[in-house]
Amino acid sequence: MELLEPDILLQLLIGGLLAGALYALLACGLNLVFGVMRVINLAHAELMLIGAFGSYVLYAAFGIHPLISLFLIVPVMFVAGYYFQRVLIERVVGRPMLDSLLATYGVAIILINIGLLVFTADFKSVPVLQGSFAIGDIPISEPRAVAGLISVALTVGVYLFLERTRLGKAIRAVSEHAQVASICGIDVRKIRMLAFGLASAMAAAAGVMLSVIYSFWPGSGIDFIQKCFAIIIIGGMGNFVGAFYGGVLLGVVESFVGAFVSTQWGEAMAYLLLVAVLLIRPTGLKGAARA
Amino acid sequence: MPSIANGLRSNGAWAGAALVAAAAVAPLALNEYYQSFLLQVFLVIALAQAWNLISGMTGYVSFGHSAFFGLGAYAGALFLTWGFPWWLAVFHGAVVAAVLSLPLGMLTLRLRGPYFAIAMLGLNEIGRIVATLWVDLTNGGSGITLAPSLLPSLEMEYFTTLMLALGATLLVAFIHRNRFGLELRAIREDEEAAEMVGVNTTLNKVVAFVLSAVIPGAVGAVSVMYTSFINPNSAFAHTRNVEMIVVVLFGGSGTVWGPIVGAAIIMILREMLWAEFPEVHLALLGVLLVVVVLYLPGGIVSLARRDRRRRPDIAKAGETPP
Amino acid sequence: MKRRLLLSALLSFLIIFVISPVVGYAQDIVVGASVALTGKYARTGQEQLQGFQMWVDEVNARGGLLGRKVALKYYDDESKPETGAKLYEKLITDDKVDLLIGPYSSDVTMAASTVAEKYNFPMVSSGASATQIWERGYKNIFGLYTLAETYMNPILDFAKSKGLHKIALIYENTEFPRAIASGVKSKAKQLGMNVVFEEEYGKASTDFSSMIIKIKSKKPDMVIGGSYLPDSVAFMRQAKENRLYAKIFAFAVGPALPDFGKNLGLDAEGVMGNTMFESTLKLPGVKEFAEKYHAKYGHEPGYHAAGGYGAGQVLEAAVKKAGSLDHDKVRAALFSLDTVTTFGHFKVDSTGRQIGKTGYAVQWINGNREIILPPDAATAKPVYPFKDWGKR
Repeated sequence: MELLEPDILLQLLIGGLLAGALYALLACGLNLVFGVMRVINLAHAELMLIGAFGSYVLYAAFGIHPLISLFLIVPVMFVAGYYFQRVLIERVVGRPMLDSLLATYGVAIILINIGLLVFTADFKSVPVLQGSFAIGDIPISEPRAVAGLISVALTVGVYLFLERTRLGKAIRAVSEHAQVASICGIDVRKIRMLAFGLASAMAAAAGVMLSVIYSFWPGSGIDFIQKCFAIIIIGGMGNFVGAFYGGVLLGVVESFVGAFVSTQWGEAMAYLLLVAVLLIRPTGLKGAARA
Repeated sequence: MPSIANGLRSNGAWAGAALVAAAAVAPLALNEYYQSFLLQVFLVIALAQAWNLISGMTGYVSFGHSAFFGLGAYAGALFLTWGFPWWLAVFHGAVVAAVLSLPLGMLTLRLRGPYFAIAMLGLNEIGRIVATLWVDLTNGGSGITLAPSLLPSLEMEYFTTLMLALGATLLVAFIHRNRFGLELRAIREDEEAAEMVGVNTTLNKVVAFVLSAVIPGAVGAVSVMYTSFINPNSAFAHTRNVEMIVVVLFGGSGTVWGPIVGAAIIMILREMLWAEFPEVHLALLGVLLVVVVLYLPGGIVSLARRDRRRRPDIAKAGETPP
Repeated sequence: MKRRLLLSALLSFLIIFVISPVVGYAQDIVVGASVALTGKYARTGQEQLQGFQMWVDEVNARGGLLGRKVALKYYDDESKPETGAKLYEKLITDDKVDLLIGPYSSDVTMAASTVAEKYNFPMVSSGASATQIWERGYKNIFGLYTLAETYMNPILDFAKSKGLHKIALIYENTEFPRAIASGVKSKAKQLGMNVVFEEEYGKASTDFSSMIIKIKSKKPDMVIGGSYLPDSVAFMRQAKENRLYAKIFAFAVGPALPDFGKNLGLDAEGVMGNTMFESTLKLPGVKEFAEKYHAKYGHEPGYHAAGGYGAGQVLEAAVKKAGSLDHDKVRAALFSLDTVTTFGHFKVDSTGRQIGKTGYAVQWINGNREIILPPDAATAKPVYPFKDWGKR
């Protein structure tokens, strides 16, 4: 079978890793929020689309390259997320899971439909970085390579921030045990705002990356949020590193199944993995998150 | 307003009987359009009651009960095309949903909190995938169209959905009052404690789950006869599940009347806005959702209560959510 | 207290809305349609709607139909078959429209035509072409489009004449793309060509990289897609990224639309597609229609817009012929109608299926869509073979 040639396998692997890096960036943000405030943010993918449409508008109106708009959009979305947490999300923190799911779902619906009013249902794309370069005989998509590498860099950056800095350690402390952290003098509310800001910025960055790879429209979020669910279940809920591995794993699995079985099966893998992992190991492959 | 509401509460059974009687004679007075509108309201009431039964009562929040709707819809459509009479097809829809829900419930109900919710979501997606990829049976993404000659009349569909809504409501009301309902609520409040005082939690949960799957199964089968078309995306629509949740929450979760009131108000609102302003209508639904969650946790029904206590399925203050 | 006020306000709001009289079009002839304004077919749906609206304006300027003004009543079906079915139910039973135009896309039409059949209400469809629609024994669905199964025939004949024989065939898993695929398969068999790769993909697919890598390993001579706009654009973009090469790339729907070139830029160059209308066609009224459309909406009409306009013209001709709005008379008129509209020839067989209309093949050449086949309507010679990505 022609597909078993090393070149093709390598190409599939690279393609999967690059796609997975983008999933990882998105899912890590979702898991950060879940870890810190036990809220599953159903509007996370819409935050991503804000980034994507931001990139589109800046490109279409001012000709700004998405890699430059990244530096504009990410800080703006950080601030927006920071205050959005205080205005809305804070009110559902500590309430039953259903409340936060529904409140964020409400936000998602509002954002999607504002998007439809403003941008219509047309598919948009940002036509930069088209084409590919080759390593040996293996063509590698230029936009995907750039998007994948930036996604990895950002995810690792946030990881280092969480691991190395005082503030990052405070975030992790809240994630481990909010009450203890609070007793230790950490301003838990501030930390939650910070974490949500960070997650929003990561989602928006993923959106900018998305805009150079795919066509998107305001309803594109649903596929991504469902994949993110699968990823955080695979990686363990609240587990930042786990979400990274989960994202990359999903990207690679989708790529190989897409080639060896069919694209439709590739797209189904997220859900099959999700249910399989839940049934075999309800706390995720990376072991126990606090359930 | 309050007097009506109090009346509803104290004389719920009478009010219910009056409503059913009105609904039973309505087709004499209404044209097809209003009949089919009411039919859709009944469908939503039945679905909402089903969700209420598992999630409102036991606190196991399902994000995938639309899976059973889809199952029932496909079962109904297929049995109809295989030459079974429509009422048998509806029955089959319910049976297929029940049979599959037993093992699925036993597997998923081991999970708690968000894990259960997301597992159910995944289940719905898997339903969609199976319907898409099992082309020989389901005709894949093209879906199945039902010839008009196979379908029951609108009146028949109307009364069937009315019976389903009524049946689902009576089931919830019945469970609400007896020991089974008490045990379900005990599971919602504290599953470990319930187990310790001798409640067979697993059995209770699974029974509630199967009951809550039978209703969407039958509803799906009737619904496909009403639209005369089904494809994987319409059968396993995530939005349908959200609709159930919104209706129950808006009306009042864990109550008998909540889903009915919620369905009526939301369906009327939608009918007025939907066709003319599709985006605005959905955005408003989003706003409604946020407002209800933040400011009206007991739903509309709680407005009618003097004490307006918080939603019964809400966790006690101070308890950390899972 | 505040909450009780809120509730009262909400209820009175509801009551006012429910009892407020429905604004009607008492004297007008109302034409009902569901249109894809949101969702996957939104782009094509909008074009189609603009075509309807132009026809309505013009027929009213001409003094209306049967001496009455014409009004259009439409709703958004979100590109979903089940919504479309509900909407036609509403149009027929609640809005009590006088005439029906079908929705866009074969799958929405499959569902909608069943409703029309249930009420025995003739429906003129300018958005569907899958043969299956006309194989159910219905008496009320009349097509304008060439049948999907024949879409790719001119391109396949052309490929055969160039000695190509390995086809990679991909298509969306819904009605119309599947119909195209089955047409391609039977035509290929007839021409002695081989389908070396075949795969369906989901309605929401935008990532084809794995599929493309697989196609590459089969080394096809030509790639044919049973597609709509977003998927054909995504596929070509990723074909370039993965350096998939074939001598012919041909897609349904996408390449016939201006947006294909807008989204892909230079990468659209050389891609073939099929259309049922171009503003360069030499048919009565085409030039005027294209000019007026451009003046009104600021872009040139694609075939969906012309189809919408043509559907109006067909209804107009049928009602005139029937001399009434009576469903049975209009149906009889539609069955016997033989006319040429701006969109092209209209003549149906005994099932309502279109048999008069010819299809055309287009290709993107120097940034323009040119008709390349059949030769008598061609505006340019086919550019062959497809230029390799590296040599552009």
